[in-house]
Amino acid sequence: MGIFKKIFTPLDALKHLGQKPHTIRVPYVKKEPAKRYRGIHVNDWDKCIGCGNCARICTCQAIEMIPIDSIKVEEGKTNLRPQVDYGRCSFCGQCVDVCPTGSLKLSTEYLMTSTNKDDYIFIPPKDRDSGEGTGWESSTETSMLRFDREEMPERNPDERKLDFEPVLLGFSEQQAYLESMRCLGCGLCVDGCPTHMFIPEYIQKIRDAEYNGAVDEFFKNNPLPQICGTVCTHNCEDNCVYSRRGNPIQIRYLKGFAAEKVDNYGDVIKVDPDNKIDKKVAVIGAGPAGLTLAFYLRKYGVQVKIFESTPNAEGMMRYGIPRYRLSEKTLKKETDFILSTGAEIQYSTEIGKDIPLKNLLDEYDAVFIGVGFQQGIPMGVPGEDAIGVLQAADFLRDVAMGKKVEIGNKAIIVGGGDVAMDASRTALRLGAKSVIMYRRRWVDMPAHEEEKLEAKDEGVEIMPQTLPTEIVKDENGKVKSVKYVKTKMVDQGEGKRPKPVPIEDEIYEMECSAVIQAIGQNPDYSLFPDDIKEKLQFDKRGKRIIVDDYGETLIPGLFAGGDCVNNRGDIVGAIADARKAARGAQRGRGRASP
Amino acid sequence: MRYFEYFVGPQHVGVTGNMSYHLWADGDEIKKMITSVGYLHRGFEKLMEYREWVKNVPMVPRICVPEPDVNEVLYAMGVEELSGLVPSERAQYIRVLVLEMARLSAFLFYFAGAAGALGLYTIPQWTIGDRDYILDRFEELTGGRAYHIYTTPGGVRRDLPDGFKSRVQETMNYLKKRLIDYDRLMFENAIIVKRTKGIGIIEKDYAMNMGVTGPNLRASGIKADVRKDDHYLVYDKLDFDVPVVGDGDIFSRIMQRRLEFDESIKIIEQVLEMMPDGGFIEKLPNPIEWKVPAGDVYVKLESSKGEFGYYIVSNGEEKPYRIHVRGPSYTHGIQVAQEKIVGMRIADVAPFLFSLDVCPPDIER
Amino acid sequence: MSLDVEESIKQDIDLRLKDIAKCEIQRERRLKLYTGKDRVIPVLGFLKSYGFIHLAAISCVDWLDDGEFEIVYNLWSYRDKAGILVKTRISRENPEIDTAIPIYEIAETYEREIHEMFGVNFPGNPNLTSLFLEDWNGPPPMRKDFDTRKYAAEKYGMRDLTEQLKIGMDKIKGVRDGDEIL
Repeated sequence: MGIFKKIFTPLDALKHLGQKPHTIRVPYVKKEPAKRYRGIHVNDWDKCIGCGNCARICTCQAIEMIPIDSIKVEEGKTNLRPQVDYGRCSFCGQCVDVCPTGSLKLSTEYLMTSTNKDDYIFIPPKDRDSGEGTGWESSTETSMLRFDREEMPERNPDERKLDFEPVLLGFSEQQAYLESMRCLGCGLCVDGCPTHMFIPEYIQKIRDAEYNGAVDEFFKNNPLPQICGTVCTHNCEDNCVYSRRGNPIQIRYLKGFAAEKVDNYGDVIKVDPDNKIDKKVAVIGAGPAGLTLAFYLRKYGVQVKIFESTPNAEGMMRYGIPRYRLSEKTLKKETDFILSTGAEIQYSTEIGKDIPLKNLLDEYDAVFIGVGFQQGIPMGVPGEDAIGVLQAADFLRDVAMGKKVEIGNKAIIVGGGDVAMDASRTALRLGAKSVIMYRRRWVDMPAHEEEKLEAKDEGVEIMPQTLPTEIVKDENGKVKSVKYVKTKMVDQGEGKRPKPVPIEDEIYEMECSAVIQAIGQNPDYSLFPDDIKEKLQFDKRGKRIIVDDYGETLIPGLFAGGDCVNNRGDIVGAIADARKAARGAQRGRGRASP
Repeated sequence: MRYFEYFVGPQHVGVTGNMSYHLWADGDEIKKMITSVGYLHRGFEKLMEYREWVKNVPMVPRICVPEPDVNEVLYAMGVEELSGLVPSERAQYIRVLVLEMARLSAFLFYFAGAAGALGLYTIPQWTIGDRDYILDRFEELTGGRAYHIYTTPGGVRRDLPDGFKSRVQETMNYLKKRLIDYDRLMFENAIIVKRTKGIGIIEKDYAMNMGVTGPNLRASGIKADVRKDDHYLVYDKLDFDVPVVGDGDIFSRIMQRRLEFDESIKIIEQVLEMMPDGGFIEKLPNPIEWKVPAGDVYVKLESSKGEFGYYIVSNGEEKPYRIHVRGPSYTHGIQVAQEKIVGMRIADVAPFLFSLDVCPPDIER
Repeated sequence: MSLDVEESIKQDIDLRLKDIAKCEIQRERRLKLYTGKDRVIPVLGFLKSYGFIHLAAISCVDWLDDGEFEIVYNLWSYRDKAGILVKTRISRENPEIDTAIPIYEIAETYEREIHEMFGVNFPGNPNLTSLFLEDWNGPPPMRKDFDTRKYAAEKYGMRDLTEQLKIGMDKIKGVRDGDEIL
């Protein structure tokens, strides 16, 4: 191409004259941003739990958490809401990608003008939301958080249902690392723990494989870490921020993992067994509450004597929880450590029968009652006196003690709580078929979800919305079958649990060789002489003793804790009560004394 | 001897960043030049040492304004190599797509600057306008127009939106059509040819010794491309040529980019076709408190300006111990420009400096 | 994935620089070489003649706990398609290392930057003037013991702009309302 021609080729540009311009013209048309545009922040205050992770990840430090007075603080939620400074924000959207609840979002709105600079520092509400599917949104797939947990390895259901060996195999080190790495350290879980363990702190230690350090953290407010690390009711996990959209961090199993790594707690927790100050406390019942109290008092050198009615310590942890959930080794490790701190224990001694309670009150500076709930509640249907109709509490205790229990080839368990699951699975391990009858729906069952699923996996037949009406005896007075009806759920209005109402028309019958009742337990307060019982204050149903903030009853020097005080019915609740009482018992007798 | 002194910059003269040149001229002939950088020193390397690994992701793109994605990808590649994370194949294809789209938009920026320096103001308006169509695609994919903050250690932050591939193809078709216009307006333009041929020659050996990389090196006649020599991501699976113009003058540097423009479109079309299904991110164990194993690594890639590299040192903590960014303009923007400008006419200063494609933000970080 | 090229480079280096450098293969196309402070220039000279023509960068790492700076020369061979990191350590007390300009001319700017940011001296470099920082009289800022925030707070103080801005905004508002501004 000659130079002459090249001079004229640029004149091609002239052909664009008169064409529609690419730029936006008058009248002004607002540019529609792309669907994924990262614009102004919006935050759904109802979903937001104020965990503060957005503020932590912000590279520009543009987010600050501000307390809002009008928001109610609930368990696992704070009243903090993020405030964004648009003088700093770089609109990267990492705050959205780290938000566990998905409440935070960048909308496609991008216009914001004000002459007041304070307007650019604002607490984003929801009202500028450009609608679902627009803007930089959070989803479990795109979030930086791993919403899937590391699955706890378990033994195969067909194999494990044949013996009483532990079902859980425990985390591997890699699994424990990955699971603990998921923790963001926001600490909302602590709200859910009755004894307020230092959860983020010990998870941090587990992540760094500093198991001794983790054990040190555990013992600050829980002297039974491995037991709690296996069978705790884990309210902490319900409050974990991950539970809002995925699987919570398995705080319980991480604790168990770290506790198991330390063979001898004595190496980490130093309590001198010979250090004894001039103060004596008697503990009735060597359950979780009694053992906890003994440990914390021994830490301060208080002389402790535990009175236990059975020939073994651990109470319900031994007799209520079957060995396939909580192994003998774990039980022994933890109680042996607590007893090694210098607490004395007297087995097979029943207070009120062998020794009157009054003697203890006279002899000791303080007496703590942690006797728990021992007696099963009967169903109240005809035929309950038949041979083969058992209480779950008795049944589990006898099995745990190694006694021979005859249940034949098919057991019907009535109830839907954890005890019903334990009884049904224990029956299975004794070689019987197990059927659970529960009057409400599957979702209403108070047992923990994983317990229900484990029971189902092992082959327990669960019949929800079923109500036994009669137990039929054979000619020898042995149980032969159970008559039952189906129920329907009747709505009781907003906020109330639907009520099961029996459908009387059809009565079914199921053959069985044993009936195990697991519909609840009551305390046995026969240890109290009448004059003491009169002075004590009980709740409306007469089951639980009312105590003050230090675990002290109305009788000076008499403390109580565990199931006979709180309505949680679990180990960690008992531990929390015992810690309160430990503080109270140190303070001395009676509210008036300083 | 007495000279005229000229000061160019530090405000934007055209499209480079803030950088000034101090010139001494004897009549029309440049005798000496000193580049003065420092207007854009934001201390990113130091800032990164203060922040956790993931928190640096929104910061790195700011190191290079016209082509921010190379920083994101490099940072992610370096962290991945240190930690042993492997992004999915789909994520790697998406990264290539992003990188090549960024290269196209940077080239369009370059054409605008180079033509603007010669006083041809229609071309900047066209190319900057057309660059916006690529930015529209970026906005759809990443949610941002200039700084995308899209690539993160482990993969990319979002998957492709619905119908994205076909819209990218449309944009490519549009650009291919426009290239005919550009050719006639710019690359065959007698003014450009006349003003740039045989001027500002950087010789082959000199370029190699002075650490000049990328299109500038290839324009001087050396066939070297990080995408081929030190292939990263999935470039070894893609079919593309490395054009070499070879004269080393201003015109060949401009033509070099024009030829590479075609290759990038070719790569994008292949990527759209070959991209496999699969996950787009391998999540980190923890977003904030993740520790990268101790070690050091040098990762590099081919940006529109040359070899961009990150030297990352970790001492096994939550934060990087040291990050050194090797910007491509560092070599040709300071020493090479200073030495090669001597003897040039004043009118050729602007075309020469623009032809080198100096990007001050990546010199100074 | 074969490491033939890397192996042969390592062999050659081990043969020629037996007593003064230690070479290891990091991965495909990446090698590392450790050498002493006094041996750097001969080592670089050999490597350039071997084919490592391209000096991509010179980095400096401040190992505060060890009391040492690590100078890293980042080389690339266009012929062998391999990169090598040449590392050497110098004392933090008296940071000084010979310039690499006689071998790699481009080292001038890199050394200038390291001199400015870490306070390392390069005898033989004619142009160790300031590069990025202007009127800087603080300690070298990229050193690990330099705290950016502390320095800024001490040097400039934390200014409270609220009042100034408020006045400015009031003025703007005044204009809007049609008032006269003084």
